[in-house]
Amino acid sequence: MIENAFDISKELLHIEVEDSKINGYRFVTATCVDLGDGTLDVIYHFDKDLELKNLRVNIKKEDELPSISNIYFSAILVENEMKELFGLKIKNIAIDYGGHMLLSDEELDSPMAKQQIVIEQRKGDK
Amino acid sequence: MFEMIGSILKNLSSKPATRKYPFEKRPAFKNARGQISGIDIDQCIFCGICQRKCPADAIKVTKAEKSWEIDQFRCVICGACVEVCPKKCIKMDDEYKTSAYTKETYKAVQKTATEPQAAKEA
Amino acid sequence: MGKSGKQNKSAKTVIPFGPQHPVLPEPLHLKLVMEDEIIVEAIPAIGYVHRGLEKLTEIKEFTQNVFIVERICGICSVMHAQAYCQGIETLMNIQVPDRAKYLRVIWAELHRIHSHLLWLGLLADAFGFESLFMQVWRNREKVMDIMEETAGGRVIISVNTIGGTRRDMSPEALRKVAVIADEIKEDMKELEKVFMADYTVKHRLVGVGVLEPDLAYEFGAVGPMARASGIKQDLRTTGYAAYGELDFEPVVETGCDSYARTMVRLREVYQSVDLIKQAIGKIPDGEINVPVKGMPKGEVISRVEQPRGEVLYYLKANGTKNLERLRIRTPTFANIPTLLKMLPGSELADVPVLILTIDPCISCTER
Repeated sequence: MIENAFDISKELLHIEVEDSKINGYRFVTATCVDLGDGTLDVIYHFDKDLELKNLRVNIKKEDELPSISNIYFSAILVENEMKELFGLKIKNIAIDYGGHMLLSDEELDSPMAKQQIVIEQRKGDK
Repeated sequence: MFEMIGSILKNLSSKPATRKYPFEKRPAFKNARGQISGIDIDQCIFCGICQRKCPADAIKVTKAEKSWEIDQFRCVICGACVEVCPKKCIKMDDEYKTSAYTKETYKAVQKTATEPQAAKEA
Repeated sequence: MGKSGKQNKSAKTVIPFGPQHPVLPEPLHLKLVMEDEIIVEAIPAIGYVHRGLEKLTEIKEFTQNVFIVERICGICSVMHAQAYCQGIETLMNIQVPDRAKYLRVIWAELHRIHSHLLWLGLLADAFGFESLFMQVWRNREKVMDIMEETAGGRVIISVNTIGGTRRDMSPEALRKVAVIADEIKEDMKELEKVFMADYTVKHRLVGVGVLEPDLAYEFGAVGPMARASGIKQDLRTTGYAAYGELDFEPVVETGCDSYARTMVRLREVYQSVDLIKQAIGKIPDGEINVPVKGMPKGEVISRVEQPRGEVLYYLKANGTKNLERLRIRTPTFANIPTLLKMLPGSELADVPVLILTIDPCISCTER
């Protein structure tokens, strides 16, 4: 297990992040893991004096998470990336690219989530 | 403002730092990873370990027809196949692969033991 | 190319500073909103070289992932492999032999020298000083040649593996590395006078792109960006690989502008030469790798100091030969918001220099 990890719920996320900012933690990044049973695990990593603190939130795929970019501005890039690649719903990001930061229009939606893809083979095609 | 003058004068009076390729070629270093030049096909036992360890899926081993094939343009010259081969029969050359007009693969087939003369020249 | 709105006092134009530009070495797109040559706002756009490598690492086996991970970036490639191998070794409780730890330090510091020399050359090219660019890159060729001679490749050296290193260095090779390191130090001492004291160079760098220390910490700057603003933060002091037994101090400057960042990277070249000589003096004898048995299980975070800053690897494995999730956060990803803070208020001619001082590596950012 990773060291210094706390499990919190979605409602307490904003309060814990503000608390970290007041105590002088630096925001490192956020990780999203698809657990395969309809839930996603979002882990936020913070650092102070080269020691890590991790906050883990477990939500279902249809739930919405509030953005932390009004507390930490540097979270805009990572939240846009999680929104595009996993289909995680985050509201009120400070600069929102609307799903086109990394992926182009004709690609598959949320490619990193574990989903079933049905390939249709028409007659005469390879 | 004039700190570079000494260095510039030294460069003007010494020989150039580049060499006149293709008339003058640098000899390759001894342990450099250039290209997979081939396989000693008589020693190969067709176990297929090199096919499983290749990160670029460039090697194809067929036990039924006793052939070993590598797609040189997919290979990333990592050297994993050379290390894991139990008979140590894959060879790595130290010159880089030059460009080519068509994408061909290198294929080697082991002749069967009923023709001993043909097996020697395979 | 520009859209000007009819306002009362001054007209705003939007200039795209595109992914293809003669001075910009990386495919980064910026929309600059300007009023009469002064920039008011900047909006970035990335995504031109997204390859989906995190998904590919879930399909290949965990031993093949070393070769994929080191091809994320060409300039910091050996440290990506080192961070991955250190993470897997922590998960499987493998003890790396001491000789392999020192060899990893030597190759990592050689890579840091070649990355900083590349950056110094590109910076000289960005403000038009072509002869300095060519001379710095001529010195860099010595490092590339010694890497090919000892490890087998010039750019992607493929020398780290799970459990140690793949190649060993003989005593003559170690002596040659020490000789080349001394030569690089002397060559850079001559060019240091140009970077530090030349009137035209100082005019382009001093006072350009100022980032105060508390803003740098709040926006999450890492690497030489943070160290040039007075924040003493270097991951090598935590003592991974053989750094715990070597003696060094992080290089910190307090100027907070582009001149200070140039000085930090130049002094880090000398620090790397010193670290290489210390490691060659202390390297013990022994084997270079241990065999790997079993499958990894669990989750771990491993961090390494790359030339551009701190890189974070999150690995999750579930006992099979494929990893469940590999997440990589590279240092340029953390430095781009600081670019958005430095750009407003500067002139259009300073934009290439400012983008280069964060040392962008866009192929790392959107793996």
